[in-house]
Amino acid sequence: MRVVIVEDNVLLQEGLSLLLSTSGFEVTAAVGTADDFLAAIDQRQPDIAVVDVRLPPTFRDEGLRAALTARRQFPGLPVLVLSQYVERTYAAELVASGQGAVGYLLKDRVSRVDEFLDALRRVAAGGTAMDPQVVAQLVTAGRNPLDRLSPREREVLALMAEGQANTTIARRLVVTERAVSKHIGNIFSKLDLPPTDSGHRRVTAVLTYLNAGTG
Amino acid sequence: MRTATRAIRYLLGGGPTAIAALLALLAVATSAVLSLVGIGIPLLSWALSGVRSLAGAEQRRATRLLGPANSGRQPFDPVGSGREPSDPVGFERRWAPDRDRTGRPRLGMVLRDPGTCRDLLWLALHGTTGLPAAACCLALGLFAVAGLVTPLVWWIPPAEAPMTFVVPITDWPRALTLAPLVAIVSLAALRWAVPVAGVAVARAYHALLTPSVRSRLSARVAELTATRAGALDAHAAELRRIERDLHDGAQARLVAIAIQLAVAQRQRDAAPQIADQLVEKARAGVEDALAELHEVVRSVYPPILADRGLPGAIHALAAACPVPLTARIAPLDRLPAAVETAAYFVIAEALTNIAKHSAASRAGLWLTHENDRLVVRITDNGVGGADESRGTGLAGIRRRAAALDGYADVSSPPSGPTELRVELPCAS
Repeated sequence: MRVVIVEDNVLLQEGLSLLLSTSGFEVTAAVGTADDFLAAIDQRQPDIAVVDVRLPPTFRDEGLRAALTARRQFPGLPVLVLSQYVERTYAAELVASGQGAVGYLLKDRVSRVDEFLDALRRVAAGGTAMDPQVVAQLVTAGRNPLDRLSPREREVLALMAEGQANTTIARRLVVTERAVSKHIGNIFSKLDLPPTDSGHRRVTAVLTYLNAGTG
Repeated sequence: MRTATRAIRYLLGGGPTAIAALLALLAVATSAVLSLVGIGIPLLSWALSGVRSLAGAEQRRATRLLGPANSGRQPFDPVGSGREPSDPVGFERRWAPDRDRTGRPRLGMVLRDPGTCRDLLWLALHGTTGLPAAACCLALGLFAVAGLVTPLVWWIPPAEAPMTFVVPITDWPRALTLAPLVAIVSLAALRWAVPVAGVAVARAYHALLTPSVRSRLSARVAELTATRAGALDAHAAELRRIERDLHDGAQARLVAIAIQLAVAQRQRDAAPQIADQLVEKARAGVEDALAELHEVVRSVYPPILADRGLPGAIHALAAACPVPLTARIAPLDRLPAAVETAAYFVIAEALTNIAKHSAASRAGLWLTHENDRLVVRITDNGVGGADESRGTGLAGIRRRAAALDGYADVSSPPSGPTELRVELPCAS
């Protein structure tokens, strides 16, 4: 799988390159600025881009903006955004930038190599990967619609919002897949969402719904 | 002539206010005595507040007579402390940060205010002289009228009870000279002497009630010294907190990780399983250390503030607030980082309070930049009755505002609504 890495910190850039190339990925470009990023996608046509939120020149949210621009220019381009901290506003903007194929993870997660690579593959395949911290911020924000969910349903929703598939959820919660489907059906009906089977669309639906709740 | 009329009106008007002053003097004295046994303390603060508004009204009356050009002072504030023109004594502004729940200034603050002493001096002066002055004015008027009328009517009363005007008026010569003379003298006094006296009284009151430039400057210096000391204390406490968080948290964890890795290295060949476990432990430790570092960074300067500026950061806060919040943010230039950070934490704290305690169904946030002051106003329709003594939230907000020489004002009557207003000066 062809990956473009966008990270201005040389240490982290090297670390990510090392991690990905030793895990069977092909790092086609490793760049440090937003402009180089857009040029690299154009030339190398990667399967996925891994982008740091803070890039020069101002080290604010250039990386996020570049990722959003890239997804406008190349619709459907899978982008995994890494950040030193998580901010729900950014997660909402990414989710709103298209149908799936986005990920937003805390940089710390990279050290859990298997989970990180799993998230990367999921996003490249058009799915979604949300950092558990973002999801936790959403779920614990205490919105009224979520009060209707049972604790178990909340757990399922949290894992669902991370972008996990039903099999993974079943394994994590040590229940059968049928039980998970039943919980998900209940969640959709309690939150007035039309049920679909597509991994990223349900996350989109959940996140959009939760963000819309803030009015 | 108009000056005379205005001076007469001023001195006559001093009569009723002198009576009010006497009553106030009585109230202050009574509550001061009662304060010795405790129950008068709220009364005293209430009475002194009354005196302050009485003094303010009297000062406005004096200024009306003197006219802004004649007041002997420039209308602008030479100290530049941002006091509003409607508040010449600077009372509202200076007392605003220290009110109790009913909106009444706390007694300690009232007593420390140098204006209180001036108020009391004025009260004693006006209470004793105001009424006689008004009476003199009235008497002069009556003399003038009587002096003019007497020559016409002196012959009406019977001879055994003649009209008396200084001396009994019993014949025409007396009636035509003495009475008009008194009238002329009275009128002359009203025309020339009363305006001089009125202006003198007004000047005296004005001088007494308006803090001198010098005393205002020294009050301002005292205020700045206090806020600077507060700011330094807050800063020092903040540095200690950060140092402690890093020292006891991330730093200690990193040491532990280094040890685990070193042991793992030594055990690699002898006991690969133990080495594996240690490496796994070390990795988990790194995650914890990072999480702690995130917290520290967030508490020093929120990353979203660095990324998106104050408006973006507030929108993020608003989105995370469980109570539906309407935020109106005026266009802002980039402000000093200290002001932005303080505003951010003040808003974050206020929204947390609303979410936790207010039981509100709606909240509003206004952010404007007026006269080089950042003004934050946050309201909610909740239960009110916010009590500063119960938590650290409101005190923290005050401390943050005071450290920047700003102020925070909370109004939260028992059944709501609650309104928090914070002003932060942002001149560089």
